Amino acid sequence: MAPLVPKTGDAIFASIDRVNAELFTLTYGAMVRQLLTDLEEVDVVNKQLDQMGYNIGARLIDEFLAKSNVSRCVDFKETADVIAKVGLKMFLGVTASVSNWDPEGSSFSLVLDDNPLVDFVELPDTFQGLHYCNILSGVIRGALEMVSMKTEITWIRDMLHGDDAYELRVKLLKQIPEEYPYKDDE
Amino acid sequence: MIACVAVVGHQNNPLYLQSFTGADDALKLHHIVHCSLDVIDERVNNPKRSVITLNESYLGLLYPTESYKVYGYLSNTKVKFLVVTTDLDVKDTDIRSFFRRFHAAYVDAVSNPFHVPGKKIISRIFAVRVSGIVKAFAPGTYG
Repeated sequence: MAPLVPKTGDAIFASIDRVNAELFTLTYGAMVRQLLTDLEEVDVVNKQLDQMGYNIGARLIDEFLAKSNVSRCVDFKETADVIAKVGLKMFLGVTASVSNWDPEGSSFSLVLDDNPLVDFVELPDTFQGLHYCNILSGVIRGALEMVSMKTEITWIRDMLHGDDAYELRVKLLKQIPEEYPYKDDE
Repeated sequence: MIACVAVVGHQNNPLYLQSFTGADDALKLHHIVHCSLDVIDERVNNPKRSVITLNESYLGLLYPTESYKVYGYLSNTKVKFLVVTTDLDVKDTDIRSFFRRFHAAYVDAVSNPFHVPGKKIISRIFAVRVSGIVKAFAPGTYG
């Protein structure tokens, strides 16, 4: 099944309903701007974006699994590839690359060269600590947590701060076995 | 040679002014731009409006002084783009394409969520792009 994965991302992207990219970008920008006006502190906004992303990711994973029909991932490496090639392609329309695996295979870097959320955006000097795309880290964290992987995600490179690409470091903390909320005798 | 470019908002508030000559005649350029705004108002409130202008109106040569020419361009949101040039013969098509590129750069700058509409444009990328457009314009007039 593995060789089919990159093509599947494009195929799904072509078949689902899409929204105008500029509308999406401008809506996200307006939302971040409003959060900054309401919360004022850059750190609080970062946390809020992450939390929003987490809520989105927890719901997005179901749609992803339903639309993409990928089989169960054998290991974390396969998970990384699926996120980069199928997941991001399906929802954002961009493909990311996976790199910098650590020796145990428990953390990797996701590199995005192109990011539709940040078209036209320039961070003013007063908001230099803002991770504008923090919602992405929340989405990945939320989605993985719903499939029993607890992860920690940090930003390594950010184009709005002058780097050449967006790099996210995804670290697997632990895999949670499935718990049933009901008692067996009910 | 383009002396300066300016973007003025719909309430005649200056949004961007950049001069490309030596610094000492900046004030004179400001003054010229200001006078040109009156010419624009005149043209806009005239019966020229009988021809329905759908979106952008290229206003053409507004104000020839002894050493400068001022060209204007009005967007449909009443944002005015002005260019002051020292060239004696500039082709109409060149100026039109200049304004189109200038307008495109302006639209991208204004789409920045951190830009407050009505305030000055502080985007560095916009300044760089405008300088690039100005530099690209100058050789074209000799072609």
